[in-house]
Amino acid sequence: MTIPVSAADWIVINTELILVGTAMIVLLLDAFNRRISDRISPWITLVGVVGGLVSLGFLWGQEYTGFAGMLVIDSFSVLVKMAILFGTGLAVLLSVDYLRREELAQGEYYGLLLLSTVGMLLLTSSANLIMIFLSLEMLSIALYVLTGYARMRPRSQEAGMKYFLLGSFSAAILVYGVALIYGALGTVDLAGVAEALTAPGILSNPVLLAGAGLVLVGLGFKVAAVPFQMWTPDVYEGAPSPVTAFMSVSTKAAAFAALTRVLVFAFSDLSGVWMAVIWAIAALTMIFGNLVAIAQNNIKRMLAYSSIAHAGYILVAVASANQLGIQSIPFYLIAYTFMNIGAWAVVTVITRKGEEGVGLSDYTGLFWRNPLLAVSMGLFMFSLAGIPPTAGFTAKIYLFMAAVNANLIGLLIVAVVTTIISAYFYLRVTVIMFMHRPSEVSAVHVPIAAYVAIIIAVVATLWLFLFPNSTQAFTEAVWRMGL
Amino acid sequence: MLVQYLPFLILFIVAVAFSGGAILLSRLLGPKRPNPVKLAPYESGMVPIGGTRRPFHIRYYLVAMLFILFDIEIIFLYPWAVIYLTARAARLFLLLEMIVFLGVLMIGYIYIWRKGALDWE
Amino acid sequence: MDLIRNHILSILIFLPIAAGIALVIVPRRYAVFIRWFAFISGLVAFALSILLFLWFRSNMAGWQFEEFAPWIRVLPRVVEGETRYAINYHLGIDGISLFLIMLTTFLTPVAILASWRGITERAREFYVALLLLEGAMIGVFSSLDLILFYVFWDAMLIPMYFIIGVWGYENRIYASIKFFIYTLVGSLLMLAAIIYLGLQNPAGLTFDLTELVAADIARSVQYWLFLAFGLAFAIKVPVFPLHTWLPDAHTEAPTAGSVILAGILLKMGAYGFLRFCLPLFPEASVHFAPLMIVLGVIGIIYGALVAYSQPDIKRLVAYSSVSHLGFVVLGIFALNIQGIQGALLIMIAHGLSTGALFLIVGMMYERRHTRLMSDYGGVWRRMPFFGAFFIIAALASLGLPGLANFPGEFLVILGTFAAANWVYALLAASGVVFAAIYILWLYGNVMQGPVEKPEVEAMRDLSVREAFVLAPVVIFIVLLGVFPGVVLDRTAVSSEAILEQVRPDESRTSLGRGAWAIEVRGIGTHALRPKTDSPQPVPHFLVEGGEEQ
Repeated sequence: MTIPVSAADWIVINTELILVGTAMIVLLLDAFNRRISDRISPWITLVGVVGGLVSLGFLWGQEYTGFAGMLVIDSFSVLVKMAILFGTGLAVLLSVDYLRREELAQGEYYGLLLLSTVGMLLLTSSANLIMIFLSLEMLSIALYVLTGYARMRPRSQEAGMKYFLLGSFSAAILVYGVALIYGALGTVDLAGVAEALTAPGILSNPVLLAGAGLVLVGLGFKVAAVPFQMWTPDVYEGAPSPVTAFMSVSTKAAAFAALTRVLVFAFSDLSGVWMAVIWAIAALTMIFGNLVAIAQNNIKRMLAYSSIAHAGYILVAVASANQLGIQSIPFYLIAYTFMNIGAWAVVTVITRKGEEGVGLSDYTGLFWRNPLLAVSMGLFMFSLAGIPPTAGFTAKIYLFMAAVNANLIGLLIVAVVTTIISAYFYLRVTVIMFMHRPSEVSAVHVPIAAYVAIIIAVVATLWLFLFPNSTQAFTEAVWRMGL
Repeated sequence: MLVQYLPFLILFIVAVAFSGGAILLSRLLGPKRPNPVKLAPYESGMVPIGGTRRPFHIRYYLVAMLFILFDIEIIFLYPWAVIYLTARAARLFLLLEMIVFLGVLMIGYIYIWRKGALDWE
Repeated sequence: MDLIRNHILSILIFLPIAAGIALVIVPRRYAVFIRWFAFISGLVAFALSILLFLWFRSNMAGWQFEEFAPWIRVLPRVVEGETRYAINYHLGIDGISLFLIMLTTFLTPVAILASWRGITERAREFYVALLLLEGAMIGVFSSLDLILFYVFWDAMLIPMYFIIGVWGYENRIYASIKFFIYTLVGSLLMLAAIIYLGLQNPAGLTFDLTELVAADIARSVQYWLFLAFGLAFAIKVPVFPLHTWLPDAHTEAPTAGSVILAGILLKMGAYGFLRFCLPLFPEASVHFAPLMIVLGVIGIIYGALVAYSQPDIKRLVAYSSVSHLGFVVLGIFALNIQGIQGALLIMIAHGLSTGALFLIVGMMYERRHTRLMSDYGGVWRRMPFFGAFFIIAALASLGLPGLANFPGEFLVILGTFAAANWVYALLAASGVVFAAIYILWLYGNVMQGPVEKPEVEAMRDLSVREAFVLAPVVIFIVLLGVFPGVVLDRTAVSSEAILEQVRPDESRTSLGRGAWAIEVRGIGTHALRPKTDSPQPVPHFLVEGGEEQ
């Protein structure tokens, strides 16, 4: 037996290699000279992320399969990888001053961030259930540590522990599901699964159904879909803000890529079964996330529930399982990355040392204290609510079109109604920022790196609204690729 | 198809029979002269009396973890070696790959070393 | 010049937006410069819209000043050898949009000038919001792509929301959220309907209005889509049971906000009915017309009655809008040429007359800081100049012949007679009587009688700036009342085209220049003579034959 390894394999993982290399440099630097590392490791990390983006640029429009079909590069994965890397890059910009403010060690933080990113990138490309599990673990383990990174703050510890326990539990469920699928079909390769499902009579195999269900649960945990969302608010609240920003967009992007690949491509023949399940999960997620978000007075928790709700919206696209749906997923993820990280960036800036000042009341009259910050936050809120002229709007149109095209009118109605509900709590933030006067006009100090992150997010949110084609022409290839 | 798994079954039976048989035989044939020390559970030469939930120092865990990490990674060397034997053309490539792999391991090693994870005190 | 001519709609939309964005970087301390910059940008936009008016060809059917650029690529399809996107930047106007755009560009500088003194805090941001709002409103009136229309329709919400919420009065937050959520409820359902409409198009996914109008839509589908679109527009108009956001928003908004809100935003709903509901869902429109007529009539009477019982002047004017817009709905769903053209006239006239009333209320508020009618009385004695403007606006609002509202209301009642039950026409006509009651009551309480309050004694008459705010509006009120033909001439072809969509079987004639006398003689007969070109002067007849004299 020989394992064929060719040059194409290296192309497939070149982005990951760049990031792993950067992570090693950052870690070693930290090990040898703490002082220098504290100063330059964020910038090294940024260079690595930009390098990763450049390497993705070379993969633009290409298709590769590597490592015996374990990993694939196609338009879908390249786009989602871009979303992930944008998320990482912006999170790095936010972290620079955050870590300094909270007096946390720098080097390992960036190493972990990069390694988690690598896990996400691999997850996006995985075309094999084992690979999915491996990369999921890789991203999760680094994230568990990052969540509890602020060791001195009990909230952060609690969040890390919670995330770790529930996360490992869900990973175990996922593995169990993979094992059952292997038992039923004799393969863990996604293309193989798709092929095996064409065999007569296989679709009613209870072992297969149980396996698919467990895999769905495992991935549902990562995208924070109801009823697997219980960890989200606590973890998002407890984790350091930049980590939450990163986690809420990039993890979601990667997990959705895997979910889409598994459901729409591998298990497409089983869609008669999972369609109803995803339908229900999507509806529940949208309703739950948006309704509970209304009651939140802590902005981090509000954004956590909002992120649950957005998982519900993306699930609508997954449920439609048609060309429009698949095309809309990468766009939604990219748009979501910018608008959500933007919102978290503002939260990071407003928050004071020790994660104080996360109540909505801390935003009172922000317009009077720092108009630029308030206007940016307002833009992100409108974008999250899906109101033009923002990327969130364009993303929602794609989504609605996909739902109509798949004849999911019921789900569309749920999406529309919950969007209206969501407008209420997003508006509340703008009301507090713009329409209440501050008791004392104290200027808000905004570090330059955070400013850069916020401005990038603002520009991207508007840019994706004005010129959405840059991704769309490209994603048309997504549907054609099959797997 | 199940026939393929016959060796496993046989191995399983042999394993159970061997260990079970050993315990059974020693019980049947061995002389029995019990005293309190002999009846106490064997505990690596330590006194088996007292609270069982004694806190271990964290460095035990650390070392154990590091050991397992490197131990497991060494396992990859075996299949590699087998492939390396049979491969003719791509030997250089395979060698380079293993060097890269070991290099990554080495970086991890240097890292924990510099971080002081290997210092006992 | 050709460049301007070919892209005039884009320029009209993006000039105010660009001006608004440019204002952001002006340091706050140059307050005077900021005001003038905003005002002059508004004036330039108005000048451009006059060019639009001059270049507009009144007898040409179809879209004018069309602009087309591909925008969002979704499921592209190949039409006649070229790739077409589903969502395009497609602009174009007809007679109906023309006057609404002009109304927008006219009222915006007026609103800016009116805010000169009233807005002191964060004035820069206020003008930015107003300019962005103007761009979005012009966009709404000139979009020929449904998604593009929706973008402007929704985007316009944001500046208006802030204008009410940040610069409004005591209850502003409640009012602004209510305004936003109400509109969003309607518009999101409309978005769902738009998307459904685009996807069900047999020729492939498109949101182009002209293409969709040409497509045949099954009757049952039409009903649902009409309801979804209709809800959005009915909330905006507002049609009777959905009007509850309006009094709050109008009352709590700052003067400029109220002017824009009443003057233009409400017209968007009516415009939506005309531009989208009628041509896209003709069968559904005919089916639901009786319902809409009843709601329109209820709106007229309800609005008038409630207006009469308001102690708050601004609320009174707000409820009078409900009443006036009832006429618009009635006219549109009379589904005949008199009704539609009458509705159009009222839309413009209401923008001017109610706009003027809000400006007047604003000026009183700036002097006394109260909106309660009982706090005034005898103001005329202190402010005679002001009183002159007030009486003209008030009389226009109650439909005095010779002033802006009369021709429209008259035509609508005429159209209702021709189309529906005479009872409705009678009830609608009674609305005019009610209007006379509440308007005269308002004027009498505020302006006439002895001066009893010492604060009233201290009120100063209009400043030069305020006179400049009111004068153009009042001049246009008179002009529109005297020469409604200027509007009717240019909207005739467009209105006919819409009716052609709804009722292709019936032959109709339009109201062109000089058709007035014929129209009056033909009451109740349905038979209208073809458009004549005789330049018969309308004003004499109208002024002398009016019922109020």
